[in-house]
Amino acid sequence: MPGDHIDLLAISRGTVTAPAGCGKTHLIAEALTRHGSGKPILVLTHTNAGVVALRGRLDRAGVPAKAYRLSTIDGWAMRLISTFPMRSAHKAELLHLANPRTDYPNIRAAAAKLLKAGHVSDILAANYARLIVDEYQDCSIRQHAIVGFAAQVLPTCVLGDPMQAIFGFGDDDLAKWDDDVCAYFPLAGELATPWRWMNAGAEPLGHWLLYVRDMLLRGQPIDLRTAPDGVTWVELDGSEDHQRRLRAARVRPPGGQGSVLIIGDSTKPDGQRQFASQTPGAITVEAVDLRDLVAFARAFDLAAPEALERLANFAQSVMRNVGAADLVRRVQSLVRGTARKPPTAVESSALTFVHTPSHRAAVDLLVEIGKEGGVSAHRPAVLRACIKALQLCGGTEGLSFHEAAIRVREQNRLVGRPLPRRAVGSTLLLKGLEAEVAVILNASALDARNLYVAMTRGSKNLTVCAPSPVLNPPI
Amino acid sequence: MARVRAIEIGNFRGIKALTWHPAPGINCLIGPGDSGKSSIIDAIDLCLGARRNVQFTDADFHLLNVETPISIEITLGELDDDLKNLDAYGMYLRSFDAETGTIEDEPEKDLETVLTIKLTVASDLEPQWTLVSARAEGQGLSRSLGWGDRIRLAPTRIGAVADYHLGWRRGSVLNRVSDERADASAALAKAARDARAAFGDEAQEQLGETLGIVATTAKDLGIPIGENIKAMLDAHSVSFSGGTISLHDENGVPLRGLGTGSTRLLIAGLQREAAAHSSIILIDELEYGLEPHRIIRLLGSLGAKDAPPPLQVFMTTHSPVALRELSGNQLFVSRVGMGRHEARVVGNADGMQSTIRLYPDAFLASRVVVCEGASEVGLIRGLDQHRTTNGHDAITAKGVALVDCGGGGADRPFTRATAFQALGYRVAVVRDDDKKPTKAVEEAFVADGGRVVAWRDGCALEDELFLSLSEDGVIKLLDRAVELHGQELVNDHIKSASQNAKDLDAIRTEALIDGIAPESRVILGKAARSRKAGWFKSVTWMEDASRDIVGPDLVHADPDFRALIESIFAWAGDAG
Repeated sequence: MPGDHIDLLAISRGTVTAPAGCGKTHLIAEALTRHGSGKPILVLTHTNAGVVALRGRLDRAGVPAKAYRLSTIDGWAMRLISTFPMRSAHKAELLHLANPRTDYPNIRAAAAKLLKAGHVSDILAANYARLIVDEYQDCSIRQHAIVGFAAQVLPTCVLGDPMQAIFGFGDDDLAKWDDDVCAYFPLAGELATPWRWMNAGAEPLGHWLLYVRDMLLRGQPIDLRTAPDGVTWVELDGSEDHQRRLRAARVRPPGGQGSVLIIGDSTKPDGQRQFASQTPGAITVEAVDLRDLVAFARAFDLAAPEALERLANFAQSVMRNVGAADLVRRVQSLVRGTARKPPTAVESSALTFVHTPSHRAAVDLLVEIGKEGGVSAHRPAVLRACIKALQLCGGTEGLSFHEAAIRVREQNRLVGRPLPRRAVGSTLLLKGLEAEVAVILNASALDARNLYVAMTRGSKNLTVCAPSPVLNPPI
Repeated sequence: MARVRAIEIGNFRGIKALTWHPAPGINCLIGPGDSGKSSIIDAIDLCLGARRNVQFTDADFHLLNVETPISIEITLGELDDDLKNLDAYGMYLRSFDAETGTIEDEPEKDLETVLTIKLTVASDLEPQWTLVSARAEGQGLSRSLGWGDRIRLAPTRIGAVADYHLGWRRGSVLNRVSDERADASAALAKAARDARAAFGDEAQEQLGETLGIVATTAKDLGIPIGENIKAMLDAHSVSFSGGTISLHDENGVPLRGLGTGSTRLLIAGLQREAAAHSSIILIDELEYGLEPHRIIRLLGSLGAKDAPPPLQVFMTTHSPVALRELSGNQLFVSRVGMGRHEARVVGNADGMQSTIRLYPDAFLASRVVVCEGASEVGLIRGLDQHRTTNGHDAITAKGVALVDCGGGGADRPFTRATAFQALGYRVAVVRDDDKKPTKAVEEAFVADGGRVVAWRDGCALEDELFLSLSEDGVIKLLDRAVELHGQELVNDHIKSASQNAKDLDAIRTEALIDGIAPESRVILGKAARSRKAGWFKSVTWMEDASRDIVGPDLVHADPDFRALIESIFAWAGDAG
């Protein structure tokens, strides 16, 4: 696969625009392989998940590990300022990340300042042959400053797609593509071959998506009725929208092979979970902050009278067919001795937990609930992390459940997410994941960028649920 | 291509403490024995060398004080990319300000990025090499250079190694043993020969590039080993260590058959070829085994005249030839004072370079007598020779050097003397009094421990001689002047000095009848230093006259003058 004749190693300062599925990662891998020996190329991207994913793809492409150093921009920035703390003059507490919302922007600012002052210029030049930054559309202003100052020393090429800029970085605004990025890194080329769809035998779909991208970019409407084979419009007319969506979510991938991504509304995570619980075999893709687990862990008190109720509710929130209220009632009557039926396995576990509350007993109860007939996890990532955290604090003296949950969360950040066969999530959560089939549950709730990201998740089939076949989202 | 920017030594052998910022090129250490020159070279070797086993003993501790650890810190600049590796050394990169000689714990724009390597030996005698960084230490981190980097950085030492090779050739114990065994076990010798034949030219192909470099280097340096040098199995070593490969000339003769000088010269030349990787070279006694022209050649091949310098060289020498070839910025005087060692750069200020060229031996002495002119130099030399024949030790043998200022202004000897004084030499000035120096200049010199011997009130040396010697001595000097310059010229000088009141004959007559009149002695002193035609205004003339006439006459001379002369020798002899 040639990269549309773009040679990343020949760009001393520039931007390559890379629409989804057009071989961007391949282009990077090819350049790194060709670079070969000598000083490594520094490759930066945004998220730890992105690092894991990119490293996996570079490994599979056979890129020698010596050819590059891969990191997140923030990770690299932290590395720099912790190595030269006097020159970056940051407060030592900054690196403890106690207040991520303000700490990350301050870390970026400190790193940009260090690079700008030129104290480490000769060291950068000694360490890296050049700099490649992936997913540049997700760059914040401060991250852009870091890359910009590094580019004064290293030949630098950034790759990204403004149409896939759907992340925001809290207090640190995104760099504007045309005004900030392209002004500093002039456009050096644009990828235009839809390799992902061509390789999947759906070339017309790939070309149509490039056309869609162009239309969306210019604020023009698109008509799903003119789409090639593989694109299905599910009409939402208000009569039985939920049922139609559920049916759409049960779509079988072509030939029964491959996976399905179900894209819900990012502002309504509960809606996504509901779909997951109502769709056989589907599971949710969880945000790395595992907010629900951390919140549960903070509130969960073994000694509190409502401990069992909280635990049962948590089980119900991550597994299908769990009746939390019934369980609590049954256990109450068993404790009072008014129950006629003997306790089930789950109820025995719950009784043990009520009599001798412990983290160990909580794990046993969750496992026992999961074994019950008809019960399956639709949020297995949260359930697994919860069990891991309970085990961790059960086995570690002085570690609270809340601390254990945070520790597990941080460990999870660094491992890749396996792609499930049928996953439910938002564009934010599913970005970077690819499947054979994509199902958009509510196209009219998405803006142009989110819509484009959603539409490009499936390499063979795309199902779009929308009131109208003509989509005209705001930019 | 790393270079040593700063050296800090503590409690190592003869050195209690030393801080030194060496030059990027040649660093030639000079100074009296036991001033720590070799300890400095050894310290660099131990700190930067790549040896897995270094044996330390209690004797390596300053004054055997094992309670205070030995500490050798070397800060390296001109780091290559590998040494600036963030993953390996990021926490240890520092910066060095060449202007102030200060080291900051972190890199800084426009300052050089450096690494500091520290060798510590505590009383357990286990050497430990670590990289120095306050921030790493603050975080409880510690690491040393990677082994590969240490091997790349390791300095080449040209020391006793060459001797080891020579040991084989000069019928040493080893060689004698091998002769006896050759008789006893001819089979072993034959096996060696067979092995050599079987191995043949195999090494030739594998070492082709090296051989080419050796041939070119040797040719450039004028070492006759021929064009087609070979790499062959060394028959000698086969019988002992099972086979090593050594260099042989075109006739198959091992290259270690070369003389010490050639071997050292060749190693130095080869080192320069290898400078891209390892640019630090250590040389003990530079001149060892080399004729003067080869010393010059060796210095040339070390890049003494090249800018920028290709190698950083640390060496010791006692050779005036070597000094004459070097610039003041390449010379460092090793000194001990106030419990600290110092390596002071000689520098190029105030005619220092010409002093180095004219009087290189002065820099190798411990005491320097700065003489106002050639006559003073001649006088002291002649007197010294006279004293030697009478059983005294020569002052030159006691490490005293004489420097001629060649006349000029009355302050000039002090300019030169204070320069030596600043380098830690003990200095005396022997000066005329006809033109007096600036009082403050002389006082400052004396305040710093300098010694001044001045001829008596208003006198030049010639005045002093003709006033102070016995009648017999004066006539002998006069005869010597006539001998050197002819009756006519001496007569003219006397006439013009006395404004035609006296002539040569008149003075000779005075001597025969009433003795030489005091005013005639004054006239003779004046005549003897006639402008541009002084009777004894050359080192040789004065040296001869001093040895033959002044020395023997001194016992009869004016006691005050004799005391002046004796004070010079007493000061010089004080050196011990």
